Amino acid sequence: MTVAITLSSVLSALVLALALVLPSIASPTVPFGVRVPAQRADDPTVVRQTRAYRRRVLIGGIIAAGICVAIYGVTGETLLLPLTVLALVSVWYGCFFLANHEIRAAKAAGSWYEGLRQGIAVDTELRTDPPRFPWLWLAPALIVTAATAVIGVILYPSMPAILAVHYDAKGVPNREAAKSVGAAFSLVFVQIGVTALLAGIAAAIFRTRPDIDPAHPLGSARWHRQYMLLGARALLGLVAVIDLAMLGSSLLMWTGTVTPWAPLVVVLPILAAVLVAVVVVSRNNRERDGGEEDTGLTHRDDDKLWRGGMFYVNREDRALMVARRFGVGWTLNFGNPKTAMLFAGVVALFALVIILRLGG
Amino acid sequence: MILNVDLASEVPLYQQLRDQIVGAIADGVLTEGSSLPATRALAADFGINFHTVNKAYDLLRQQGLIRLNRKTGAVVTRTVPDAPFRAEWTARARTLLAEAVAKGLPADEVLATCRSLLDSFGATQPEDTP
Repeated sequence: MTVAITLSSVLSALVLALALVLPSIASPTVPFGVRVPAQRADDPTVVRQTRAYRRRVLIGGIIAAGICVAIYGVTGETLLLPLTVLALVSVWYGCFFLANHEIRAAKAAGSWYEGLRQGIAVDTELRTDPPRFPWLWLAPALIVTAATAVIGVILYPSMPAILAVHYDAKGVPNREAAKSVGAAFSLVFVQIGVTALLAGIAAAIFRTRPDIDPAHPLGSARWHRQYMLLGARALLGLVAVIDLAMLGSSLLMWTGTVTPWAPLVVVLPILAAVLVAVVVVSRNNRERDGGEEDTGLTHRDDDKLWRGGMFYVNREDRALMVARRFGVGWTLNFGNPKTAMLFAGVVALFALVIILRLGG
Repeated sequence: MILNVDLASEVPLYQQLRDQIVGAIADGVLTEGSSLPATRALAADFGINFHTVNKAYDLLRQQGLIRLNRKTGAVVTRTVPDAPFRAEWTARARTLLAEAVAKGLPADEVLATCRSLLDSFGATQPEDTP
């Protein structure tokens, strides 16, 4: 029970912290998902909305957390605790959308783009001489997965006849399965699936279209190259830690160890790795322009392709992944049929895991 | 190489692309053997129709500045200025210079501008300048 409370509190605090710092790490020319010309980045409306957003997030977050804690106090149901996180994310998006709406209205009323020359910049070298996939960074994940499989094969004869395949929030096994290859190696299959998925995403990052600022194209292109490499490395580092957590969890299962901190073996390293990855990528999120002369062009106004300021929907665009405009990392093009196929693939992967673990 | 197109310009997109690639060759950013992205890849990066890129590449190919390859995209080739090119180029230069004279730009200034533009091409390309 304390584990569930701790985890929910940590997750809620993380969401709240991320929501509060996001306006500072997002691009200054896309405040709250509205594309604005560089000379409007410090417009009074933007400054006012940033302040209002932070105030709303803080107050809304505290109220949402308070309500969830009160409900828990009354019902004593630990299942409700993850709802706090969900409620916080909803509050966050609500605050984001309010700011987005106000800035969009000010932009339309003041015709911020009138008289500006809108342009598109492309760095051809990203295609003719693309950055290389950091294979070395994939090695730890592969080694950990292979090691888990080898240790499993060695330990298999000595494993208990009944394996605990699922734990409740207190760390007590609540689902068990008779020893079989499917049950014993279920987490190895998860390792393989997650490694393939995240390595695939890391590889896809290099094929994404960089959003180069036409006003400072050289510095922007250089920064994008660096950012892609950093993002791929962060993902590959993350998958190594996930695999390591699976190794730890497998060892507990194979040796029949029952401890109250069993869920922490999985959750803590992954949470820490996600935090490190987010911090590393977001620290480098803002482009630095290296004193490059302004070309006189402005990034084109592409607001209509971003529904609700956050979801990229463009049927004309064959790209699957695009860099997020507000926030950190990349997002999917929801107008691309391949996105639906990808979702189906992920759902199938989860279904496979569940069937393996239940049926094992 | 950075390609930067102006969406509001009266110059068509394919012409802007073609002009910038020619400029990059003159600047020495692109040299003989340098490759350019495949038509579809470049069009996708710009978010424009691939026929537009095709048109730009086709103009460059007709002038012998690039060689098109179905698989690898386009490669910059070495060219020698032949007689038809010299004649055609002179005709276009004549129009440009005529505009300057018609507008009343002093000859010294026109010559100085031409000189500094030519020198700017040499800036990134090691070359013997007088």
